[in-house]
Amino acid sequence: MSRLGRVRAQTSAGWRSFVRRRTAVFFTFFFPVILIAIFGALIQTDPTGGGLFAEPAAYYVPGYLAVVVLFTPFSRLGSEVARHREGNRFEKLATTPVTRGEWLLGQTVVNAAIIALASLLILVLVVALTGAEIVFSPLVVAYILVGVVCFCGIGAMLGSYTDSQDGAVAASNAIGLPLLFLSETFIALEQLPGWFEPFVNLSPLTYFSRGIRAATYPDAGTPAVFGVDPALANLGILAVLAVVTFVLGARSIPRTD
Amino acid sequence: MNAVVEATDLHKTYGETVALESVSLAVDDGEVFALIGPNGAGKTTLVRALTGTTVPNSGTAHLLDESPTAVDRSRLGVLPQEFSPPARLTAQELLEYYAGLYDESRDPETVLADVGLVEAGDTWYENLSGGQKRRVCVGSALVNDPDVLFLDEPTTGIDPAGRRTVWRLIEDLAAGGTTVVLTTHDMAEAERLADRVGLLADGSLVASGTPAALVAEHGGSSRLTVEPTAETTLDEVASSGTLSALEYAVESRDGTLVFEDVSPADIGPIVDVLEDEGLEYTSISWAEPDLETVYLELADGEERAQTDRRSIGVEPARAEASTTADSTGTQEANPEGSQ
Repeated sequence: MSRLGRVRAQTSAGWRSFVRRRTAVFFTFFFPVILIAIFGALIQTDPTGGGLFAEPAAYYVPGYLAVVVLFTPFSRLGSEVARHREGNRFEKLATTPVTRGEWLLGQTVVNAAIIALASLLILVLVVALTGAEIVFSPLVVAYILVGVVCFCGIGAMLGSYTDSQDGAVAASNAIGLPLLFLSETFIALEQLPGWFEPFVNLSPLTYFSRGIRAATYPDAGTPAVFGVDPALANLGILAVLAVVTFVLGARSIPRTD
Repeated sequence: MNAVVEATDLHKTYGETVALESVSLAVDDGEVFALIGPNGAGKTTLVRALTGTTVPNSGTAHLLDESPTAVDRSRLGVLPQEFSPPARLTAQELLEYYAGLYDESRDPETVLADVGLVEAGDTWYENLSGGQKRRVCVGSALVNDPDVLFLDEPTTGIDPAGRRTVWRLIEDLAAGGTTVVLTTHDMAEAERLADRVGLLADGSLVASGTPAALVAEHGGSSRLTVEPTAETTLDEVASSGTLSALEYAVESRDGTLVFEDVSPADIGPIVDVLEDEGLEYTSISWAEPDLETVYLELADGEERAQTDRRSIGVEPARAEASTTADSTGTQEANPEGSQ
């Protein structure tokens, strides 16, 4: 059993805990529905005119997916870490064979399952409600999984470095919202002031949205990275960032007081 | 006997607060060691230092001959003090979850039965009563059949019948060779379960030894306490010629008359004398000293000393010498001024 068994035990407990919080389940899936209804409706009012939402519907698919891939791990991991700390669960876990990495991996698997379902819902809704014409690439699955790993790592850090559940949720909103709009999700880089570019390039979500766009909407003209196909290159960059944030996130989880 | 839990000169501070001061102790294989002491005495910090979940500022701790953070965790069971596991798992699922973290574990259903919760196995943790919750938490520390078990206030919030279930469980584990370190505010629990008891006060281990040795050393004598009716002037009675003629120390204390070092056979003659004196009383009670007497003697003394120091604006002084609890079952040292 060992490592696999411990991750399985962690995942099973995490999944059961999640599905038994009815409001959490409802709003996890209701959030993207609202989002697409509002943004889809806005976009469809003026698909080719000026303003912020002037691109074709398919352009915004990475943005819709980014909402769940970014915010779900941020808020869930942030508050889960805070809840564990407040209930002395980490003190207990520190005296068992489970490692911090295994704990975070178990939580990441639960988040990946939730976000995969929400993403499927988003893709169905975005096509049905906005008429987006997208390519269904298997790379989308890879982006979602790697993105979840990346943002679960950051979510763990948010939970570890804030002192309460409230603090973790507030921090995840304060960091998540700017990231969402400064990562070429809904707003193209050209529409932002030039000095935003370094910040945009620092955001892991930028590589998620660029890569998803390259994979699902080839007409967007996503630039290649050092001559490599942008759908693959951005996945590679995101994967490197995911490893870094996962390791940092796992190390941030408290083992001692 | 080999010491499986060992602390040497542990110091731990949280900012200005001294949590542990020169604490040394050794717990032998298969022994049950109870830590008692007032709130904030350092019991939980000591358990954390011994289990590797806090890092002492200085001193060393060893668990099964290893550093606490390096020990094989499958041999260790820990119940933290204010532990709150995932609320929407059932009692059975919680034990399965914690059992799943070990390569080898006990059957969670058996553990559930051991803590007396078979009926509540399918109830979500958040819907259990306070005592049932604590029993599930105790169970979570037992799922791996540990060699060394740390229980930080295991019976807090548990009703008397449930408490006895947990006591029997701990006794069975000890009989099977498990080393147990527990903290408690329940002196009956410490007296019943512990081979040795350590009393922490203000971060220092002020006394340790077998319950009987501690009682003999610090408990004083057996006492007969007479509670007179309100009209009686105790000081006059205590100093009356007839009572003074008795061979017992008599004093008026907190509205009662206290006769020291009275054997059960002496109660009758004392009652006769009281009646001869015309003393009207509402109750008479006789008690042998117990661990609670020791606790009140040592811990209250320490607390009063602290209060006095604070009230005159003097920084708390520390015991000059560390107190060492070894495994001989005898008390090694006393706090200054604790007598």
